[in-house]
Amino acid sequence: MSDSEAPIRVMVVDDHPLWRDAVERDLAAAGLDVVAVASDGRSALARFPAARPQVVVLDLQIPEPDGVAVTAEMVQVDPSVRVLILSASGEHADVLAAVKAGATGYLVKSASREELLSAVRRVAHGDPVFTPGLAGLVLGEFQRMSDAPEPGPPDTGLTERETEVLKMVAKGLSYRQIAERLVLSHRTVQNHVQNTLRKLQLHNRVELTRFAIEHGLDAE
Amino acid sequence: MFRALAALRIVVLVNSVALNLYRIDEFTRPVAAVVCLSVMVAWTAFTTWAYADQARRGFPLLAADLAVALALLLLTPWVKGPDFSTSLPGFWVMGALFAWAVQYRLVGGLVAGVLLAAADLLRQDIIDSSDYGNTFLLVIGGTIVGFMCDSLQQMATERDVAERSAAMAAERARLARAVHDGVLQVLALVQRRGRELGGAAAELGRLAGEQERELRGLIHAQEAVETVGGGETVDLVAELARLERQSVTVATPGSPVEVPAGTAYELAAVTRACLDNVRVHVGEDAGAWVLLQAFPDRLELSVRDDGPGIADGRLEEAAAQGRLGVSESIRGRIADLGGTAELVTGSFGTEWEFVVPRTERS
Repeated sequence: MSDSEAPIRVMVVDDHPLWRDAVERDLAAAGLDVVAVASDGRSALARFPAARPQVVVLDLQIPEPDGVAVTAEMVQVDPSVRVLILSASGEHADVLAAVKAGATGYLVKSASREELLSAVRRVAHGDPVFTPGLAGLVLGEFQRMSDAPEPGPPDTGLTERETEVLKMVAKGLSYRQIAERLVLSHRTVQNHVQNTLRKLQLHNRVELTRFAIEHGLDAE
Repeated sequence: MFRALAALRIVVLVNSVALNLYRIDEFTRPVAAVVCLSVMVAWTAFTTWAYADQARRGFPLLAADLAVALALLLLTPWVKGPDFSTSLPGFWVMGALFAWAVQYRLVGGLVAGVLLAAADLLRQDIIDSSDYGNTFLLVIGGTIVGFMCDSLQQMATERDVAERSAAMAAERARLARAVHDGVLQVLALVQRRGRELGGAAAELGRLAGEQERELRGLIHAQEAVETVGGGETVDLVAELARLERQSVTVATPGSPVEVPAGTAYELAAVTRACLDNVRVHVGEDAGAWVLLQAFPDRLELSVRDDGPGIADGRLEEAAAQGRLGVSESIRGRIADLGGTAELVTGSFGTEWEFVVPRTERS
C-alpha cells in the first residue's frame, strides 16, 4: 500500500456520539484526514458535496434518511466515493440493500481498530471489503436472482470462478488463503470479488430501470 | 348499515307508490289512499333523517317505525275494500323490518317479522299460498338479516382487535430494533476500548464481545421468525443464526430458507456437533465458519475451521481401531437425511461439506 501523497479523506456518519468520536480518533491517529462528521442522514448529505471525502464510514441505523438511502444518494452525486458500512446489528436486509445501493464494504462494529483501518484503506483503493456474512448474503442474492422466473440481464450472473471465490470468502478464508488454494494471484482474487459486487450493483440498477420503465417513470 | 337501509327505503317507497297509483281504481277510498301514501313518503323522509344519527336510534323510534308499518298493513282492507290484491305498503314494510334486524339483531328481526306477518295475515279472510310465502319471507328475512348483522359486527370487532395487535407488534418490533441497536453499539464499543486498554479491561471487552455476538445472533433469529408463516417448516437460517458466537461466523442467504422442521433441527444439531468438535480439537476460541447455500433442489452446508487439519491417516487409524468417533456419527446423520457428507482437511484447516436434497414442498 502507498502512503505517498495526501492522506485518505474520510467522512464519519454515526448517530452515536461515543462511536463517532472513537472512530474519528482512531482514523486521525492513524494519519487519515477526517474531513467531516455527521450524526444523521440529512446533515451527512448536506455536508458531503463540500467535504468531498474519498471514503464514507457510514452507520446504517441513523435518523432519516437511513444509511441505505444515504449510500444511494452519495454514490449518485459522486460515483468515485467509497462507502464503508459499519453496522452494529448487521440486519441482513439492510446490509444487502446498502451494498446493492453502491456500498463498497461492510464491517460489523465489533471489528478491531486494525480491521477498521485496514478496511478504510482497502476501500479507498477500490477493493471491496467483504465479511464472510456479507459474502453469504451476496451468494444467496445471486442464487435468488438465478431462480427468478424472468431471466436477469446478460452479464450479471456470476462466473464459476467468481462463485468459487465468493464461497471461499463466505467460509472465512482470507484473500491470501484463497489465492493459495486456487493458485491465483492476490490481485486476481480481489478482482473476482470486485466483479461480484459490480455485477450485483449493475443488476440492481437494471432492475430499478426496468421498474421505472414498467411504471412509466422514465419519461423526461 | 342504516345508510344502506335509507337507500333501500327510498327504493321500496317509489315501488309501493308507483304500484298503488297504477292500481288507484282498485281503491274504495282513494282520498284515504292518497293520505296513506303521503304518510309513507313523509315517514320515509323522517326516518331517513332520524336513523342518520346514532343517538336517535332508540326504542321509541324503532317502535314508531314498526307501528306505522303495522298500521298501514291493517288499514289496507279499509282503504282498498275487500277485493284488494296487494297490501297498501307492500314491500315498504321491509324498511321497518330491517331496521329492527339491524338494531336488535336476530331477535329484533324475528319479532318484527312475526308481527308484520301476523298483521299481514290478519287483514285477509282467505289465506292462499302466496300469502303464506310472503309471511314466511318476512319472518325468515328479518331473522337472517339480524343474524348477519351480528356476524358482521363480530367480524368487524375481531378485525379491529387484529389490526390493533398487528400495529402494536410492529411498533414493538421497531422499538426493539432501536433498543437492540443501541445495546449492540455500546457492547461493541466496550469490546473495542477494552481490547485497547488491556488488562482487566480487556477481559471486560471480551465478555462484551461475546454478548454482542450472541445478541446479534438472537436478533437475526428473531428477524427470521417474524417472516415465517408457520406450519411444518422451519427457517434454517434462523436455526443456524443461533449458533453464532464470538469465534463462530454464520453466513447465510438474506431470506428465510424454509425446510421441514425435522431436517432443519437435524442440520442445526449436526452443525453444533461439528462446532463442538472444533472446540475440542482446535481450541476453545478457535475460529469456525458456517456457510449455508440454498438451491431449489438442495442445501449446501459447510463448517470450516482454521486449525492445523487432521493428520494423514489418523481417521483411518481411528476407524481401524474400531473408534467410530464423531465424524462417523456426523456422516450417519447426514445420510439419514438422504444427503452426502464430505470431509476435506489440509493445511488450510478442516472443512465439512454437506449436501442435502430438498424434498418437494407440499
